[in-house]
Amino acid sequence: MEFAGAIREAKKGTAELVVLAFLDDEPRHGYELTQLIEERSGGALTFNFASLYATLYKLEERKWIQGRWVEKAGQRRRRYYRITPEGRSVLAAQRKEWGQFFELIRQLAGVEHA
Amino acid sequence: MRDRDLREWRTLIRERADREWRELSPDVVDELACHLAELHAAALTNGASQAEARHRVLDTLNAASFLEVSRRPRARHRPTGYFQDVRLAVRQLRASPIVSAVAILSLALGIGANTAIFSIVNSLLLRPLPVRQPQQLVTLTTGSWTNPIWEQIRDRHDLFDSVCAWSETRFNLASGGETEFVDGIWASGSLFETLGVDAILGRTFRASDDRRGGGPDGAVAVISYDFWHRRFGGAADVIGQTLKVERVPFTVIGVTPPEFFGPEVGRTFDVAIPIGTEPIIKGRGTWLDERSTWWLSIMARLRPDQSIDAANVALRAAQPAIRDATAPGWNGYINEPFSLEPAATSKSALRRHYERPLIVVLTIAALVLLIACANIANLLLARATARHHEFSVRRALGASRWRLARQLLAESTVLSAAGAIAGVVVARWGSQFLVRQISTSGHRVFLDLSLDTRVLVFTIAVTIATTLLFGVVPALRVAASEPMEAIKEHGRSRAARRGGLSGSLVVAQVALSLVLVVAATLFVRTFTSLATLDLGFERDRVLVVDINAERAKIDRTERLPVFARLLERVQALPGVAEAGLSRITPVSGQGWNVSVDVSDTPRLEGRQAQTFRNAITPRWFAAIGMRLVAGRAFTDADRKGAPPVVIVNEAFVRRFLDGQDPVGHTVQRRVMFNRNQPNEPPPPAQEIVGVVADAIYDNLREQIPPTMFEPLAQSEMSVVPQLALTMRTAGSPMSDVRSIASAIRDVNADLAITFRPLADFVDASVARERIVAMLAGFFGGLALLLAGLGLFGLTSYTVERRRPEIGIRMALGAAPSGVVGLVLSGTAGLVALGILLGGTLSLWASRFVGTLLYQIEPRDPVTLVSAAAMLAAIAAIAAALPAYRASRIDPTTVLRESQV
Repeated sequence: MEFAGAIREAKKGTAELVVLAFLDDEPRHGYELTQLIEERSGGALTFNFASLYATLYKLEERKWIQGRWVEKAGQRRRRYYRITPEGRSVLAAQRKEWGQFFELIRQLAGVEHA
Repeated sequence: MRDRDLREWRTLIRERADREWRELSPDVVDELACHLAELHAAALTNGASQAEARHRVLDTLNAASFLEVSRRPRARHRPTGYFQDVRLAVRQLRASPIVSAVAILSLALGIGANTAIFSIVNSLLLRPLPVRQPQQLVTLTTGSWTNPIWEQIRDRHDLFDSVCAWSETRFNLASGGETEFVDGIWASGSLFETLGVDAILGRTFRASDDRRGGGPDGAVAVISYDFWHRRFGGAADVIGQTLKVERVPFTVIGVTPPEFFGPEVGRTFDVAIPIGTEPIIKGRGTWLDERSTWWLSIMARLRPDQSIDAANVALRAAQPAIRDATAPGWNGYINEPFSLEPAATSKSALRRHYERPLIVVLTIAALVLLIACANIANLLLARATARHHEFSVRRALGASRWRLARQLLAESTVLSAAGAIAGVVVARWGSQFLVRQISTSGHRVFLDLSLDTRVLVFTIAVTIATTLLFGVVPALRVAASEPMEAIKEHGRSRAARRGGLSGSLVVAQVALSLVLVVAATLFVRTFTSLATLDLGFERDRVLVVDINAERAKIDRTERLPVFARLLERVQALPGVAEAGLSRITPVSGQGWNVSVDVSDTPRLEGRQAQTFRNAITPRWFAAIGMRLVAGRAFTDADRKGAPPVVIVNEAFVRRFLDGQDPVGHTVQRRVMFNRNQPNEPPPPAQEIVGVVADAIYDNLREQIPPTMFEPLAQSEMSVVPQLALTMRTAGSPMSDVRSIASAIRDVNADLAITFRPLADFVDASVARERIVAMLAGFFGGLALLLAGLGLFGLTSYTVERRRPEIGIRMALGAAPSGVVGLVLSGTAGLVALGILLGGTLSLWASRFVGTLLYQIEPRDPVTLVSAAAMLAAIAAIAAALPAYRASRIDPTTVLRESQV
């Protein structure tokens, strides 16, 4: 599914939220994140892999997440990202903010919250 | 397997990032590579083939932009150092291998050619002799001196610190039969001491070795390092061994150092023997007391406090005494004041002959390098323009102007450095090749071409100059980039400016190329006129055998009968069609002349009265292929005692007989004053019995001189030890050498013989013209190629830049032919301007090459016009392809592109 116009623009801002949200459950590596996002959005939302890592690094720079190389037997080396307490509180705040935002849009434009 | 994949993904990621001028930290590269590996593995699991999986990964990679990724804090080390500049430059050059290869190749040829020719200029003209304090050496100008004069100067010890004399020659080391020549020197006992050269083994000459007939140690020889290794395998016990020089045993007393090649640049020596031993070899024919045989060069070392002027004054003060002691009362004998010249770089006949051609060729090579620089500047400019967007973005991201300019300069430097390294290889090979071209079979040229500081500095200077020439303009252009400017305007106005600059470069290229093509045409035409010149004799299928009876024990009066028997034997050989003997072989560098009076004609004065001479046997004309045009040839009846006769050439008839029928006139030789035999009767008058067609005597470039031929049997030359046997052979000249040699040995095994095809003499006499024509032709062709490439590049670029405009024109109904015309007219304007400039430049420069030309004017209009036409044709071809492509532009595609 392709978004156009306003939503395409808005999508960019949601990347951080989405990544933080997926890391909320458990530590994950970059490839896993792209797969998850694609799967859960039914293919509607995809990240270019470089932008995904750009987002990850940005979040790491802000100390909202933390990456660590992990080597498991029989698997290739992977860098796992784990959300930090600081990241958790940002996520909570953002969730709240987005909820309020959708409520507003619903009231103003008659768009139903998904 | 996995590791290999990972490695490949890492490389791909780095290359991809490079293209965006991003430097990723190894950590990031690793992580991204892991991601791609997962993607690849997943694709395979889902049933994709290896190729499909790989494709999918590449698609992902290509869609990525690393702009943000590299802002990652861990990737903090951005390329800032000079080393990184170079590394990036290498990557950038590898990204467009063809362009880089063309650039490096043209630089290698350009720098290589310049270095090659400069290293010859250096060793021939600039480098001092490898001796002690060469700046103290002076040479007595000009030309050669007699042994009596040398002895007079030698014995005046107060004139200089020391003084020496020598004569370059060839010595035959064979004990009989076919000759084995080595380069030799007749050296005064003081030669090595004056030069300050010590033996590395044994000793050099002392004054006592130079006594007439040999010193206390007998006949001694000093050999060169090279000869020591070649002949004696570098054996330490060489000292005291015997070496047969001209069949006379000499004792080897010393070996000179490896870098010493003798007193004259351009030659080398194998064996040096004292002047005083000359009578042992030449016997009664010795030159030591000859007052009119000028064969020695004289060089002196000044005292530390002595100026060259003071030395001149002292020497001139001694001149009258020297004159009186050697040849009192001779008219015009050494009356020019003696004159000394600095000899640090030594005197050299080779230098006189090649000085101007070398400078011309060096200039040509420099021009080629300039053209190559213009080409590369254009390439880099085009690339810089193509990367303008990138540079603007980098400026916007905070890169300084200097930072960007430095990057481009680094690319130029890497290019030049690669070109220079390849150029040095080209130069080493090229200079040796050139020296081989200068050498002829009769004269071995030796030049010490080892890389010295001067050549190295020259190459580095040339490299830096080329870097600046082609690197600075693009760098300045890039440094002027305004942040984000290109993003706003799609780089169009900038591109237009670049077009103007490229245009000037192309005009300069065309102009310089025209100069080179004109020069090449002049030199090639000079050479072809000489090479195809009607010599007046056969050059092919003629073999010349020099026969020297000096060491054969034959009485003077018996020599002619021996030669006659030999001629008979050789004539009977199946491979020999005709054979004859002569004193002189044409174009061999020998000459023999006399002043004459012809009966019933006005007396001529001075040089006008001179004619060249030769003494021949009857069938010599047939053997060498000269044509009799009137009268009769010689017969065996024209022997000693019969009426003296001569045959003259047409030039002789023109000079002396002014249209009269020459046959029946007589020729009277004039006699020079001879102090030794003042009462000698004048030689008998000789009757002209025939006329031969004109033929070259010695110099292909000069007008054919008057020449007269006399029967060998009637000539005073019948007793000389050295004659040339000329043979017309059935097959190739050298094919019957064995049977001829054995025939000669059968007559007398002691004769020294040297084989040489006549064509060899002719080729040797035009060696200089051949080498200049070859180099000029090569460089002219290279210049044409480079100019063509430059034009092709510029036109292609212009077409690319004007695509939208051309598309609109075509959408509005412009015909393809109109588009072609539009493109070509732009190029034609530049080419016309270049040809105009180049033509003017050629006319101006032509004055410097006049003396090197033959049968063609330096401002020959045909040459100029044909060179211009050739250049125009190349330009048309170079521009045609891009023009054709322009006419194939699809307007709809272009219009759609410009909407985006």
